[in-house]
Amino acid sequence: MVKLIFIVVMIWLPLQYGIVGIVGYYHSEPWPAFVFPGFKSVHVFEEGFEIGQTRFEVYREDGEELISLQPQQLFSEIPLSQVPGFMRAHFHDDESIREISAEGRFWLRFQVQQAAGIEPNAMDVVQYVEYYSHHPEGAVKDSTAEVRRTSILFGER
Amino acid sequence: MSDQNRFHNWIFHSFSVSAEGLGLLRIITALFIFFFLIPGQGAAHFEYLSVMPDDFFAPPPGPLMLMDGFPSVAVFQTVQTVMMISLLAMLLGYRTKLASITAGLSILLLQGFIFSIGKVNHEILTALVPIVMAFSNWGAAFSFDSARWGEQKTESWPLTLLALFIGFMMFTAGFPKILGGWLDPTTQATQGHLFNQFFVRERQALLSEWFVSFDNVFFWELLDWATVLFEVGFLFAVWKTAWFKTFVGIAVLFHFSTMLMLNIAFVPNFLAYAVFLNWTEIYDSNLEKYRKWTGKRGVKSILKSVLLFVLILAILFAVLNRLSSMDLVLLDSDLMLHEVAIVGGGLLTVAGILVKNLLRRAEG
Repeated sequence: MVKLIFIVVMIWLPLQYGIVGIVGYYHSEPWPAFVFPGFKSVHVFEEGFEIGQTRFEVYREDGEELISLQPQQLFSEIPLSQVPGFMRAHFHDDESIREISAEGRFWLRFQVQQAAGIEPNAMDVVQYVEYYSHHPEGAVKDSTAEVRRTSILFGER
Repeated sequence: MSDQNRFHNWIFHSFSVSAEGLGLLRIITALFIFFFLIPGQGAAHFEYLSVMPDDFFAPPPGPLMLMDGFPSVAVFQTVQTVMMISLLAMLLGYRTKLASITAGLSILLLQGFIFSIGKVNHEILTALVPIVMAFSNWGAAFSFDSARWGEQKTESWPLTLLALFIGFMMFTAGFPKILGGWLDPTTQATQGHLFNQFFVRERQALLSEWFVSFDNVFFWELLDWATVLFEVGFLFAVWKTAWFKTFVGIAVLFHFSTMLMLNIAFVPNFLAYAVFLNWTEIYDSNLEKYRKWTGKRGVKSILKSVLLFVLILAILFAVLNRLSSMDLVLLDSDLMLHEVAIVGGGLLTVAGILVKNLLRRAEG
C-alpha cells in the first residue's frame, strides 16, 4: 500500500506540474498544486532593467488635487506578497477595469476613502515602466514611461 | 541489491524515528502553526474578504472555481474554528491522525479562499506537513492517544514522502528559471528581482539597500547559477538521506540570504525543514539536561522534561508573536520580526548541527 502511494505520487507530481504549466499559460496557476514560485522573469532591458508598476491617481471632488496611491496603499489589507497578483488579475488591461461593476466601483471608492481620507470622484489606473541602468554607485533610475491609463468614474469629476 | 530492494529501503529506511521524537515534533508543529502560520493571520482579513465584491473573486483553476464569490464571514469563522480545534487536538494528541488530517485540510481550504483574490501564495507545506505526518503515528507518545491505547508502531516513510514533495517542489522553482534565461550570462536575474522587490514592493529592510548599490556582474551571475543548481539539484538529493539533509541545510542558508536581500522569508518551508531534524536526539538531550538539573530520574521526569521544553518554547513563540504584531521594528518592509527570528534561528540551528558533526568527526 505504501509503495503504491509512492508510485502514484511519483507519477502524479510531474503530471500535475505539466497541468500547472498548461493551465497556467492559458488561465492562471491552478490550486492546490505542489509547486513553488519560479520567479522566471529576468526584468532585463538592453543594458539595464525594466520594472513594471501600477499606481492609482485619485481625483478629489473639485477635480484639482491629485493623490497618487500605490496598490499596497490602496489595498493595505491584502498581504504585499499577493498585491502584484491581485493587480494582474483585476487591473491588467482596459477591458477588465471597465468591466468592474457598480458594486465593485463603490468598494474601490470606499478603499480610497479608507486609504487617503478623501471623497474621490474618479480614479485613473496608471501602468508604467521604470528603466534602471548600471552606474558605479549602483542602479540608477533612467526614465519612466507610461504604458496605459484607464479611468474609473465614481461620480462627476 | 536489486532495484526493488533499493526502492523499499529508500521508502522505509531513509529516516529513523522514535515515538518520543515524533511526539515532540507533533507538539512543536502544532504550536508553530498556531503562533505563526494561521492562514490570513486572524479574523480581520476574513472580514475584509467576505465583503469584497464578486468582481474581485478570481479563484485559481481548481475546486474553488465551484464558488461564485467569497463566502460569508460565518463560513470563514466555521472553517477557522474547525482548524483551531483540530490543531488543539493535534497538540494534545487526541485522535491524532484524524486531527492532523482535519487541521491540514482546513488550512488548505482557508488558503484557497485567501488565494481567490487572484494570487496563489506557495504555502501548501503548512497544510501538507500535518497531513503527511499524520501517517507516521506522531501521536504515539506524549498524547491522550498513547495514554488510551498504549504503545503504537511509528512509521518513517512519511518523512521520505515529505522529502519527495519538497524536492520536487524545489525543482519546480528551479526549472522555469532555466527556461526564463537565468543562466544567460548577459542577464542578472537575481539583481532584477532585487530591484523589483526594492523599488516596486518597497521591501527595503535589512541588507537590501546595500545589495541595490552592489553592482558586480560576476557576483549576481554567480547567484543566478547557484540558485538554479541548488533548486534543480534538490530533487536528485531526495534519493540519499545525507544529500537531502545537506540540501535542507543549504536551503536554510538560501532563505536567510533571500531574506537579507529581498526581504522574503518563506516561513512555511521551515515547518517542513524542521521535520528532518533529529528529534530523537533532541528528546534525549533535553531529558538528559532535565535530569542533570533537577536530579530526578524517575519515569515522571520523562513527561516533565517534555512539558518544560514545550512550555519554554510556547512562551518564546507567544512573546515573539506578540512583539511581531506590535510592528516596532522593520518598518521599511512587510517583513515581520518573527520571520526574521525564525529564519535566523534556522540558520543558527544548521550552524550548530554543522559544528557538532565536525566535532564528532574530529573525535573519531
